[in-house]
Amino acid sequence: MLDYALTLAVVTLIYVLLAFALDLQYGFTGMINFGVAGFFGAGAYTSALLTMRAGWPAPFAFAAAMVVCGAIAWPLGKIALRLRDDYLAIVTLGFSEIIRLVLVQEQWLTNGVQGIPGVPRLWPTWTTAHSELFLLGMLCVANVAVVLFLRHLTHSPYGRLIQAIRDDEVAVKALGKNPARFKTQVLVIGGAITGLAGAFFAHYMTYIVPDQFVPLITFYVWMAVIMGGVARLSGSVAGAALLVLFLEGSRFLRGVLPWVSDDAMASVQIGAVGLVLILFMRWRPEGLFGRAREGSR
Amino acid sequence: MTFADIVNLTLNGLISGMLVALPALAVSLVYGLARFPNAATGDVVSTGGYAGLFAYTASGSLLAAGAGAAAIGALVGLASYYLAFRAILRRSVITSLLTSIGVGFVIRALLGVMFGHQPRTFDMPITRAARWHGVMLNPTDGQLVLVTLAVLAIVFTLLYGTSMGRKMRALADDADLARVSGIGVERSMVTMWALTGAVCGIAGMMVGVRTVVSPDAGWDTLLPAFAAAVVGGLGNPLGAVVGAILLGVLQEWSTPLVGFVYKIALAYVVMLVVLLIRPQGLFNRVQGVR
Amino acid sequence: MTLSTSGLTLRYGDFTVLDDVSMEMSLAGLHGMIGPNGAGKSTFFAVLSGFIRQNAGRIAFGGTALEHLSPDERARTGFGRTFQIPREFKHLSVRDNLKVGARRQPGESLRHLFCAPAAVRAAEREIAARVDATLAFLKLERVADALAGGLSGGQKKLLELGRILMSEPKFILLDEPYAGVNPVLIEELSQRIRELNAQGIGFLIIEHNLEALNRLVDDLYVLDRGRLIAHGRPDEVLAEESVRAAYIGGPA
Repeated sequence: MLDYALTLAVVTLIYVLLAFALDLQYGFTGMINFGVAGFFGAGAYTSALLTMRAGWPAPFAFAAAMVVCGAIAWPLGKIALRLRDDYLAIVTLGFSEIIRLVLVQEQWLTNGVQGIPGVPRLWPTWTTAHSELFLLGMLCVANVAVVLFLRHLTHSPYGRLIQAIRDDEVAVKALGKNPARFKTQVLVIGGAITGLAGAFFAHYMTYIVPDQFVPLITFYVWMAVIMGGVARLSGSVAGAALLVLFLEGSRFLRGVLPWVSDDAMASVQIGAVGLVLILFMRWRPEGLFGRAREGSR
Repeated sequence: MTFADIVNLTLNGLISGMLVALPALAVSLVYGLARFPNAATGDVVSTGGYAGLFAYTASGSLLAAGAGAAAIGALVGLASYYLAFRAILRRSVITSLLTSIGVGFVIRALLGVMFGHQPRTFDMPITRAARWHGVMLNPTDGQLVLVTLAVLAIVFTLLYGTSMGRKMRALADDADLARVSGIGVERSMVTMWALTGAVCGIAGMMVGVRTVVSPDAGWDTLLPAFAAAVVGGLGNPLGAVVGAILLGVLQEWSTPLVGFVYKIALAYVVMLVVLLIRPQGLFNRVQGVR
Repeated sequence: MTLSTSGLTLRYGDFTVLDDVSMEMSLAGLHGMIGPNGAGKSTFFAVLSGFIRQNAGRIAFGGTALEHLSPDERARTGFGRTFQIPREFKHLSVRDNLKVGARRQPGESLRHLFCAPAAVRAAEREIAARVDATLAFLKLERVADALAGGLSGGQKKLLELGRILMSEPKFILLDEPYAGVNPVLIEELSQRIRELNAQGIGFLIIEHNLEALNRLVDDLYVLDRGRLIAHGRPDEVLAEESVRAAYIGGPA
C-alpha cells in the first residue's frame, strides 16, 4: 500500500513539474507547445545516458538534462518568433516527433526501440525502497525550488510583460518592447524544467523506451493545465493531481469491470482525455482554478 | 543509382504523396472556412479505413468500399461539426485546435473500443508489380492514384464549377464577408465538413488498402498532411495537393541519403524552412493587414 | 523637429490604399486627420508605426529615418500610438496595464530580476508612483484594480492613452480618442490632450468627431481614398469644395 502511495506521489510530482513548465509557456505567455513529450524524453535520455555511459553523478546528470533541453528549446524559440499560434503548435508537434525519431534511429546511443534498461536509482547502494524515498524527497525539493522560482518570475515586471505578450503582442510592440526575447526565454526555461522532470522519470522507472514519449503524454500535460487552470501555479498542481487521479482511476475501474480488456481501457483513457479537452474548451476554458478567461478573438 | 532507381523513387513519392494529398486537401479546406488546423483529420482517415474495409468485405468491390468510406467519413465530419466545433468556432484558434485534438482522441477511442487495436488488412488478391526496364509499378498503387485523381477532380469541380463552391472559396478568402453574409455561411460550413469528412474517409480506405486498418493508421498521415497544407499555403486546396506530392517525392528522394526513419522527418524540415522563408506557403499571397 | 513622410504608397494587388502621401508636421503641434470611412487613415497610422510595410516612400521622425525599423524600434524613438479598436491587456488589471507601458524596467530582465532585487524594487516604487499620477490625470482611479477586459469602450481608450504616456513618448498617434467616450467628458479629454501638448508631446489625431477635433487642433489633414486632398487650418480646410465633396459625395 505504501509502495503504491509512493508511486502515486512520484508520478504526480513529475506531472506537476511538466504542468508548471507548460503553464509558464501557455498560461502565462500564450505559446502553444505541443512538443512537451519530446523534451521530456530528451531529459530522460540525457540523464540516463550520462549516468550509465559516462559515469556522471546524478546531480550533474540532472543539471545536464536541464541544460540540454534548454539548449534544444532555444532554436525552437527563434523559430517560434516568426510563427503564429497554430503554426507553432504544428511545428512543436513535429519537433517532438523528430526527437522521438532520433531516439529510435540512433541506436548506437539510445539502443533504439529496445530502450535503456537498468537506469541507476538515485542512490544505487541503498535498497530499492530507500532509493525511491530519496528520489521522492529530491523530487519534492525540486518542485519547491521550481515553484519559488516561477512565483518570483511571474509576480514581477517580467511576469507582467509575458502576460501582456499573451494578451496582445501588437500592443506590446507599440510600447517599444520586443516580445521575441521573452518568448525564447520562456521556451528555454520551460524546456529545462521539462527536462528535469524527464531526468526524475528516467531514474524512477529505471527503464526508458522511446514509446514512453509519444504525443499522448503531451496531451496528458495539456489536460492537466487546462483542467487545473491557466496562469495559476496552484492550478497546475491541482490539474496534475486530477490527471493522476484520472489515470489511476481507470486502473481501479478495471478492478470493478474485469471484463474490460487492457486494450479497451487504454482506448477509454484516450477518449476521456479527448472528452475533457472538448468539454473544458467549451465550458470552462480557464480551468477549475484559473484566472485568465479565454475571450473571443 | 540507376535511372530506373530514380524513377522508382519518384513513382513511390508520387504515390505516397497522393495518399497524403486528400487529407492535406481536407486540412486546407477546413482551415479556409473554419480558420484552424484540424487535428482530428487523421482520425477521420482511420475511420474511413474501417468503413472501407467493412464495405469491401461485404461487397467485394473497391468502388463500394470507397463509397462506404466516403459516406461514413462525411457523417463523422458532420458529427464533429455539430457536436463539437459549431459551438466554439468563433473563439480563438487555440480553442478550436485543442478541441480538434479532443475530437481526434474521442474518435480514436471509439474505434479502439469497437474494433480493438489489432491491425486489419484488406484481403485483396496479390498483384505483381509490372516491370519495365527496371521501373516497377504495382497495379494497386496505380489504381489508388486513379482514385485520388478522380476524387480531386470531383472536389475541384465542386469548388470551381458550382455556385456553392464559389461561395465557399469567397468565404475562405475573406473573413469579413463571412460575418456579413449570414445564411449562406452555415450552408457552406456544413457542405465543407461533409466534403472534408468524405475526402478523409476515402483517403482512409486507400491507406488501409496500401498498409493496414487500425485506430492509429490515420495519425501517421496527420503531420504529413499538415506539413503539405502549410507548404502549399494553408487554406489553398490546390496548394495542399501540390504540397503533398512535392513532399512525397522529396521524401522518397531523400531516402538513400537519410534512411527510412529520417525521411519522415524531412517533411517537417521542409515545412519549417517554408514557414521561415515564405510563411504564407508556396501558393498563397501574403495575408492582409494587422 | 518634424515628422515627415514623402511619397508614402501602399498597394494591395490592384487596390491602392495609400497614394503618394507626403506631409511634414511639427513634432510640437496638435494635428488632426480626417476623411471618410475607408480613406486609409488607420492604415496610414499602421504604416507610420511600422505594423504594415509600405511599398514606397520614406518616413522621418525628428531626423531619424523610420522606414526600415520594426514597430518596437520605432516606438523606442519616442513615437507612440494608440489603436482604433483598443488593445488593452484583457487579463491584467488597469494598473498592471499602465505598468507594462513604463520603459526602463530592470525587473523585465531575468538577470536583474534574480541578481538585483533591490534595484527592481526601487524601479517598481517609482513606476507605481507614476501610475498613480496617470490614473489621477485620466480619472481612472476608480477602476485601477479592475481587469482591463471589463472596462467600457471609452475607458479602454483612456487606458490606452495612459499606457502610451507611461512610455514617455515625444509624439503620439491617437486613433479616434473620442470614440465611446461619454460626450459630457469629451471637452475634458480635449483639455487633457492640450495639457500634454503644453508639456511638449505632439499629437496627430484621427477623429470622426469633427466638432471636437476642430476646437482642439492647429491644423487638419484630409485623406480621401488614400490621397491627401487638403491641409490647413481647420476652418479653412472644412470650407474647401473638395473636402465637402469627399464627405458628402460618396462612400469610400
